[in-house]
Amino acid sequence: MRKSKAEKYLLAAIFLYLFIIIFPFIWVFLTSLKPESEIWGRRALRVFSDNMSFQHYQTLFRGNVLNALKNSLIISTITTVYVTIVASLAGYAIARLEFIGKKLMLLIILGTSMFPQMIVIGPIYRTFVRLGWTNSYFITLPYSMIALPISIFILVNHFSKIPKEMEESAVMDGASQFLTFYKIILPLALPGIFTAAIMTFIGVWNEFLLSLTLNTNAAYHTAPVAISFLRGQFEIFWGQVTAATVIVTIPTLLIVLLFQKQIISGITSGAVKE
Amino acid sequence: MKIKRFLERKTAYLFILPALILIILFSIWPIVASLRYAFFDLQLNDQARSDLYTEASYNLRLHNETIDYIRYYLNIDESVVQTDEAHQAIAELRQQVDAFDEYVETNVVQGLEPVVSIDQEKETEITRHKNEIIAGLESFYTLEDEFYSPEDMMAVVGEFNTSLIQSNYMGLENFERVMTDHRVRSTLTFTLIFTFVSVFFELILGLALALIMNKAMAGRGLIRTVSLIPWAIPTSVAAMMWSYLYDGSSGIVANLFANIGIVEQSTDLLLQSSKALLAIIIADVWKTTPYMALLLLAGLQTIPNSLYESSSLEGANRWHQFRYITLPLLKTSIFVALLFRTLDAFRVFDLIYVLTGGGPGGTTESISIYAYKVMFAQTRFGYGAAIVLIMALAVGLITWLYVKSLNVKLIED
Repeated sequence: MRKSKAEKYLLAAIFLYLFIIIFPFIWVFLTSLKPESEIWGRRALRVFSDNMSFQHYQTLFRGNVLNALKNSLIISTITTVYVTIVASLAGYAIARLEFIGKKLMLLIILGTSMFPQMIVIGPIYRTFVRLGWTNSYFITLPYSMIALPISIFILVNHFSKIPKEMEESAVMDGASQFLTFYKIILPLALPGIFTAAIMTFIGVWNEFLLSLTLNTNAAYHTAPVAISFLRGQFEIFWGQVTAATVIVTIPTLLIVLLFQKQIISGITSGAVKE
Repeated sequence: MKIKRFLERKTAYLFILPALILIILFSIWPIVASLRYAFFDLQLNDQARSDLYTEASYNLRLHNETIDYIRYYLNIDESVVQTDEAHQAIAELRQQVDAFDEYVETNVVQGLEPVVSIDQEKETEITRHKNEIIAGLESFYTLEDEFYSPEDMMAVVGEFNTSLIQSNYMGLENFERVMTDHRVRSTLTFTLIFTFVSVFFELILGLALALIMNKAMAGRGLIRTVSLIPWAIPTSVAAMMWSYLYDGSSGIVANLFANIGIVEQSTDLLLQSSKALLAIIIADVWKTTPYMALLLLAGLQTIPNSLYESSSLEGANRWHQFRYITLPLLKTSIFVALLFRTLDAFRVFDLIYVLTGGGPGGTTESISIYAYKVMFAQTRFGYGAAIVLIMALAVGLITWLYVKSLNVKLIED
């Protein structure tokens, strides 16, 4: 079967797109295997080196990057757990229960998610300095500000899709509000909760500004901040930088490969409202 | 029934409460506090301005210490000096110090408070007393005589100035300064250009991509997975990656640009302001176009296929279908995607911070970067808050413009 002209263009466009997206990663990975001497000068643009090695990775593991990954993992996990719990409760109440001030609540959530983060950073920084909370895992608390609005939106969306009859019959049988939520709604909403959790995790894992300002001590750097510090004042060791880029990208890559369905649903349910 | 509704309401508030507390503590309270900061000359590296003082205050503990030291030094000087003139001056100085101390004891002290706020009248009176003592001491040390240690004494007396903490309330002055600050104007202009150009290309490319993805049957999963990667990696990591690709000597993109003539030399890319802007926009478009495409794709998939089928039976061509079916039905999705991306691009920080740091010469500074530098490099939190509020105002204006011009409701009833 011969392909039409339009189809050929379509295919070419897709390949070009895939190439542009993937190329930087491949190039960075190849560089991370070259010795530093071949990254500079005339040989810099050669695709493969004759002396490929993992030496930059070994150097890196002696530095701060592993510690930063550990910090990122701890901070992201703590935030994900508590934000998801809090957002599930709030999302259920907004989607299903009647209360005065519901619209106001939604407006506040939407409004705070639109404000530039820069506006909260000054007061939060001063408070953290006063309480002695800088350079600690207390940073998970202000992270709620980034993660809560999105989580709540995703969960409101999911809770309102669950058929009402399910809980009505439970309430008829005399179950309390909380029991209904815990026994009937939660299991049905698990996919949505999982989506919210993944989105929170990615959001917190990638956060830069709060981490940069509140945890200035290298021992508490998260991965995105630690990598920005690899850039020295006068010279940059691209071998190490590219190796660090590869290492920090791997967890994200795994998450994307494993949970892409949830991520797509998270991206779109936060944005596209039926 | 009433009881049931009452119970339902109670549980609803209980369910909402934790989220509400977090939002109040980490969003609403800081926003209100920032608003307050903007009215003060708040500078963390300056002790007299490191907090918000609506009125002047006086540090009594430091005052008492200073008085004690002055008396102590005067006693020593009394045993050192020789002339009658000096002895007389010391007696006068003692009187002045006593008068000052008495004034403070009777008029300023409130219970055991170490620092008390004072009104305008007390502030003038304290200033008069301390200036009198400082002037008295200065003329005392010009006398022809031997003294114990004039330098130490003058240093001690200087503490009076530190004791008096003036109000750092400035009213609208910070905002007036923002209005005339040429760096605010240049960073705001830069941010708007960056936002407009980036989002424009992201929308066009994203829409094209979404249409392709919607058509492509084979390999759709692969395209989706690949599209998610740039969105999912941290912006600072993407910026680091691009700064390598843009590097003057090792960067493959910089060399490519030099070969096709976009820049004269590969090293120019991040060193010329217009080229640096281009570099930043390319990196941003690379990172967020796939996300835009996924948002629009989700919207495309809600359009029923039957619409296209029936219209092609009626003889509509591809362009007509796009113009009269796809675009109108995609309006809400486009609105949401545009709004999200515009607000995101407007507060751009990580990408520029890591890629150029605002350079060359501050020409790629976004307003976020400027606000950050004012707050964390110069520790001027009051002025920084005023800049950020201008930013918030702009965000509100952008949202309002979008809502008005596209006529879409943000929250459905």
